[in-house]
Amino acid sequence: MSRSSYLKPDTIALHSGYTPESDHGSRAVPVYQTTSYVFESVSDASSLFNVEQGGHIYSRITNPTVAVLEQRIAALEGGVGAICTASGMSALFTTFITLCSAGDHIVSSAQIYGSTATLLRHTLKRLNIGCSFIPINDEQALRDAIQPNTKLVFCESIGNPGLEVADLPQISRIANEMGLPVVVDATFATPSLCRPIDHGANVVVHSVTKWMGGHGVAVGGVVVDGGQFDWSASGRFPELTEPYAPFHGIRFWEEYGPSALAMKIRAESMRDIGAALSPHSAFLILQGIETLSLRMKQHVHNAKQMTDWLQTQEEALWVNHPDMESNPSHQIAAQLFPNGAGSMVCFGVAGGRAGGAAFIDALQLASNLANVGDSRTLVLHPGSTTHSRLTPEDMIAAGISEDMIRVSVGIEDIADIKADFARGLRAAKRVAEAQ
Amino acid sequence: MEFKVRDNKAYAATGGKDYDNSLETVVFLHGTGLDHRCWALQTRWFAYNGYSVLAPDFPGHSLSEGNPLTSIEDMANWLIEALNATGVKKAHIVGHSQGFLAALELARQAPERVASLIGIGTAAAIPVNPALIEAAHRSSSEAANMLIQWGFGQKAHMGISAVPGMQPIAIGRQIMSSNPVEADLRACADYTSGEQVAAEIKAPSHLILAGQDKLTPLKAGLALAKQLNANHTIIDGYGHMLPIEAPKQCLQALRKIIATSK
Repeated sequence: MSRSSYLKPDTIALHSGYTPESDHGSRAVPVYQTTSYVFESVSDASSLFNVEQGGHIYSRITNPTVAVLEQRIAALEGGVGAICTASGMSALFTTFITLCSAGDHIVSSAQIYGSTATLLRHTLKRLNIGCSFIPINDEQALRDAIQPNTKLVFCESIGNPGLEVADLPQISRIANEMGLPVVVDATFATPSLCRPIDHGANVVVHSVTKWMGGHGVAVGGVVVDGGQFDWSASGRFPELTEPYAPFHGIRFWEEYGPSALAMKIRAESMRDIGAALSPHSAFLILQGIETLSLRMKQHVHNAKQMTDWLQTQEEALWVNHPDMESNPSHQIAAQLFPNGAGSMVCFGVAGGRAGGAAFIDALQLASNLANVGDSRTLVLHPGSTTHSRLTPEDMIAAGISEDMIRVSVGIEDIADIKADFARGLRAAKRVAEAQ
Repeated sequence: MEFKVRDNKAYAATGGKDYDNSLETVVFLHGTGLDHRCWALQTRWFAYNGYSVLAPDFPGHSLSEGNPLTSIEDMANWLIEALNATGVKKAHIVGHSQGFLAALELARQAPERVASLIGIGTAAAIPVNPALIEAAHRSSSEAANMLIQWGFGQKAHMGISAVPGMQPIAIGRQIMSSNPVEADLRACADYTSGEQVAAEIKAPSHLILAGQDKLTPLKAGLALAKQLNANHTIIDGYGHMLPIEAPKQCLQALRKIIATSK
């Protein structure tokens, strides 16, 4: 059971957040392609602006189509509310900037998406928000990294691209003990495979561009507020517990309790930063979510077939997936992902970097591009693309090697994917033999 | 705002504005396992539109300290002390579910403090299944699960939230899980004099009732309206948790009722 709905996940994916509207009975969620909403009166407008009642003002802040997606994802993740954003990166930035101010500090897993690492290491540093990168499952390293000015612990439920599964119960226990919320990027997992809030995490972020949408036609992000973190008891979050001047001194924690963070993000970040998701993109993501669990079953099935097969291929020097016993976080994966830890597979090819390039260039079915979670199989060489901005030391810490191929296994017939990869492996072998 | 009652810190939400006892006051009383946060989308409007607002947490709930009160009669006693402590001479008293039982008792014990009496999702008696009390004894969270599942109407289970992007069910469950549900349920179960008290009440009264209320069924609410000689408003398509699941409709009804009670 989700903590926020009594419907089962497959029903939530199709129904939550929307009942056929009264004017036309549209069964599908309509696209409310509008910037703004007519107020009933000046008094009504005033009360909306002052958060005296719920409703829509301007689509940068809320939109009815986007709100359906938000409520649906909140219900799937077991959160009290959600805020959709223009991309996964804007969801992360919105979360960090809502919880941190100049002089604050974040503890992050070292094994995270390259752009997130850049945001934490460089962009937030310009705002005087520091970050310590640690091996996130190392209990002592986590305790040692937390400082008096630390505001949150961040990790990915499945690290990109090293595929280390974060020990969410342990991380949450330690962080919460020390008055800190845990923010988890669960993009690689989706709520269909693992709900971080059920394991103690407090905030969940997704790039919904990926498996949530599945079609690769819309970019978007979401922040889900778990609602169970006590912002007051922590003592580290005056932004949520003290009067907030722009809304007549509202105290988010006092007035909204469990949904304090979500309300603050809505009232401040969506207003001031404005990284809003377009209604049309929300509509497209909603189409994907309707079949999320069906697709994830096939993704996981194909990923298992792929890892089994790759391990029999001599040109594949090593293979990594969290469900494999050779993965250091295998036991945690088995605990948190009983139905399979996603469809990202990494492996090393013969011929090193050149072999990897030959492998990718020889493929005809899989696409070489900077995305994951499409229903189609996607491949990438992280060392020269998504993680190319990292130093050699940081690349090692992030679990990346020169020969690494990152595969987002799609839901095509596995026989066709294998045939395509066999072609790529032969090309890599030729390069290796020529070296 | 914080104040002292019976030597314990008590808290009442004021809708985002300081309490001003020169203004007409509206007091909001929460139901079983709930607290001031269930009134977030009613209190703020009244506070910013010419009224003073108090939405107290009963002892042991949310930000009020102390042991939870064990009877509806004692809740009324505590309320009188809270009104004294905050300087409220007379107020419109709005009560949801159990909160209205406390309001009824308040109106009986101190009729001079009640400008009008407004009940939301309520009845003269709120019998409680012993199994629910046993569940609450084991944990508030377990009872909250049952109360929330039955308490919200189908629209809230399926439909669009009044506050974009929020899941009212999750918020209600989170709030209730952290409050002393067992004591509240026992107080409700033990209170059997509602009908008799209702017949004695002289204050202008109005009930806002939910068409799909499974906890205090509409029929029981209508019977109470008759006993109180009260007007009533029915909000169709929603369940017992009206202030949370239909906040706008609740607010509109309250605005109209309180404006005409002036």
